[in-house]
Amino acid sequence: MEEDRPTFETLEAAFIEGRLSRRDFLRRSARIGATAAAMSLLGSLGLTTKARAQGPKKGGTLVIAKESELDILDPHSAGGWVTWRVSKQMHEGLIDEDLTQADVPYPKLIPKLATSWDISKDSLTYTFKLRKGVKFHDGTPFDAAAVKYNIDRCAAKDAPQFYPRANAYTTWIWQFLKEVKTPDEGTVQIVLREPYGDFLRQLVQGGGGAAVFISPTALKKYGNEGIAEHPTGTGPFRFVERVRGEKVVTERNPNYWGTQPYLDRIIDRPMPEPAARMTALQAGEVDMIYVPHPDGIADLKAKGFKLEQGPAPHVWYFAFNLRDKNYQDIRVRRAINMAIDREGMAKQLLKGTAVAARGLQAPCCPSYDPNFKDYPYDPAQAKKLMAEAGFANGFDTVWQTSVDGSGQLIPVPMAEWIQRDLAKIGIRMKLRTYEWITYIGYWIKGMDDASNKVGSQQMSWGMTSDYWIDIVTNSSHIAPAGGAGQNGGYYTGADAMLNQARGEMDEGKRAALYRKINQKIKEDAPAVPIINDLAPLMLSPKVKGFVHAPEEWYDMTTVWLG
Amino acid sequence: MIKFLVYRVATIVPVLFGVSIVVFLMMKLIPGDPAEALLGPAATTEKIEMVRKSLGLDQPFYVQYFRWLWKVLQGDFGSSIAVNVPVAQLVWPKFWNTVLLTAGSLVICIVVGLGVGIVSGTRQYSWFDRISMSLTLIVANTPAFWLGLILMVVMALYLGWFPATGMYSMRASSKTWGDLIHHMVLPAITTASVSAAIIARLVRSSFLDVIRKHYITALRAKGLSERDIILRHGMKNAMPPIINIVGLQVGYLMGGALFTEVVFSWPGIGLQIYSSIVARDLPVVQAAVLVTTFVFVLVNLGTDIVVAALDPRIRRA
Repeated sequence: MEEDRPTFETLEAAFIEGRLSRRDFLRRSARIGATAAAMSLLGSLGLTTKARAQGPKKGGTLVIAKESELDILDPHSAGGWVTWRVSKQMHEGLIDEDLTQADVPYPKLIPKLATSWDISKDSLTYTFKLRKGVKFHDGTPFDAAAVKYNIDRCAAKDAPQFYPRANAYTTWIWQFLKEVKTPDEGTVQIVLREPYGDFLRQLVQGGGGAAVFISPTALKKYGNEGIAEHPTGTGPFRFVERVRGEKVVTERNPNYWGTQPYLDRIIDRPMPEPAARMTALQAGEVDMIYVPHPDGIADLKAKGFKLEQGPAPHVWYFAFNLRDKNYQDIRVRRAINMAIDREGMAKQLLKGTAVAARGLQAPCCPSYDPNFKDYPYDPAQAKKLMAEAGFANGFDTVWQTSVDGSGQLIPVPMAEWIQRDLAKIGIRMKLRTYEWITYIGYWIKGMDDASNKVGSQQMSWGMTSDYWIDIVTNSSHIAPAGGAGQNGGYYTGADAMLNQARGEMDEGKRAALYRKINQKIKEDAPAVPIINDLAPLMLSPKVKGFVHAPEEWYDMTTVWLG
Repeated sequence: MIKFLVYRVATIVPVLFGVSIVVFLMMKLIPGDPAEALLGPAATTEKIEMVRKSLGLDQPFYVQYFRWLWKVLQGDFGSSIAVNVPVAQLVWPKFWNTVLLTAGSLVICIVVGLGVGIVSGTRQYSWFDRISMSLTLIVANTPAFWLGLILMVVMALYLGWFPATGMYSMRASSKTWGDLIHHMVLPAITTASVSAAIIARLVRSSFLDVIRKHYITALRAKGLSERDIILRHGMKNAMPPIINIVGLQVGYLMGGALFTEVVFSWPGIGLQIYSSIVARDLPVVQAAVLVTTFVFVLVNLGTDIVVAALDPRIRRA
């Protein structure tokens, strides 16, 4: 964009040679002057790049401000997107998602430490051919034994390296694992007990425990707990240091088997206060911030900072307590779905950093249908449905949400928006809020727990795997009380379809099944999906090459500093 | 004096013991469980039990408490639940960062508080006195986090004089004292503001009190210079209540640092306590509160000793 722009000297020459009229010369040189003045002003504010580089260049330190302190850097035993965004740059799995493409409905699966894979006819054995010549950051060769050592750490209860915490975090990935075979050092066979159609997509998840590999040498040296202080993977970045509450530093892995990253270093800083993150970005102390406050984005954009946002596997929803008599009539649940102005919330309250949710299935997975027709916003029809259900005068109820927390956006104003909308159809909703950790405790106990009965409760997450909707709606996942299932095990309407979809190996057919499930869940309305977050983040103009892939984490190897 | 010292030191032990029980109970009474916190929405009852067991949280709480206490007496604060490192390794460096910030704030407090207080006290109803007392009234009632944000926007963003966040420049290759002081100015002013205002008002009234005493009139009659009267005689007699309040303010500065640290991302004990409470990281909260209490008690002890040394009436009491 900078090239071919005339300089004052070229204009002067053109004027002297008679190629430019006096009027044009004055007009165009004034424009150059104004641009130069603006550039120098922006430059003094640290808003422009020094060099007019034509392409990506190596070097530099990228400083990122995150919304909270990271969990431990043991990728098998830690959850949360905030942590995985860092751990992912250091660790790799057999396969991965291609996060270098932003304009795709969901990330494509690509080979990583496996160069190819093959699924047996009975759908139970996955044979992976491993990449040759790959070494962990400590020099240990990556081979079949390393793969087995890592999987056994998470799933083989009798293995010496078994780590219960890793097991707890990686349940969804390894739940059907029977055994891991290593016919030779370049081949691994993962044998499952039953067909698990979305197994490959589960292998690339990272929001809670990931199927990536840690150097067995390092694991033996530092132990199951000590390894978190010495993350040793095969990834493009390697660990330098961590000062808790202050920073995590990683640097380019010079021995990386794949394309070398451009950046020399990445420093991740936890900064819990949104105003501090935004100020630090403007002051040039950080180059990239997660979760800018919706109210501050327009101002930052006006100052030249880049907003990066796009579809992400995230749905913010309320689920109903089906043991509560108010919510047992399907007409009430549908009425609530029609009574809430989600579009308005996305535009006015969240300032376009989110879109109205369509269906419970989170975006960015193969079965997600952007044209899915959810309930329209129709308060009149909702009121009619309430009257038909015998609630012409509405009812009193309690809904609960958190006041903060990972991926929760601004939960209280959002719940108040819903409260206002529900009041219009006669539902007098009392809002109960807790800070995140307290809330998670109540959320897990379920809505019908004697200590805290509520009519509805809220959560927000998602995966690029279709199986996510099984995790949140299949009643079999729910222990006597609680569990990830949103309706406390009292919604069984989609169980049979979910079980069928889980065993379907054809991706197209499986996606079709999950679409039907999404439709069925919409009709049964055990929940009210509200918003899909667009995962906004703000970048300094000098940050180039960043790709906001349809995921909750990103590939930092494409990023460079201009 | 020795008897006084022994008595004051001995009272520290029950205070610390009491504080440790209160903090332990408080963390147990507020709802929320670290295992649930760690697992988030992906938790199941079985997974939670597994994580609870691995963290030793399945034991009755008094067993947990006495185990913890026994270890603490041996100098072992245990391991952080949230970030899996020895607590001592986590808490001491953070504590040191807060000590640096508190020291910086204290310097501002004493210079500004004493300076403004003495000038106001010796020039009652002058324009300086009126303006400074109105200002201190406003500042003493300003929330520190608000002042911090305003300072940040004006001094760091618009004027660009100081960095907005952190303790050292992240991109610098090494840590220098100059860089540290540069980063400290805004958080130190923020933390010091309320205490400086309170100290200024107290010094003023303490001086007004002393300055009207008969012996000051006598000194004036003897022809001593005003400077000698104020600095040699007035100051000494006005000092005990001032030292007392400064000692107390050190505690408040450390407490106030919590807000400042969160706003300015200063990696101190306040920010650590904040993130540890949010994560229900009991061992860290315990250790951090205990260390802070210990210092608070020590500073008060030091203050008492200094005041006792200055004022013989106190050590005889």
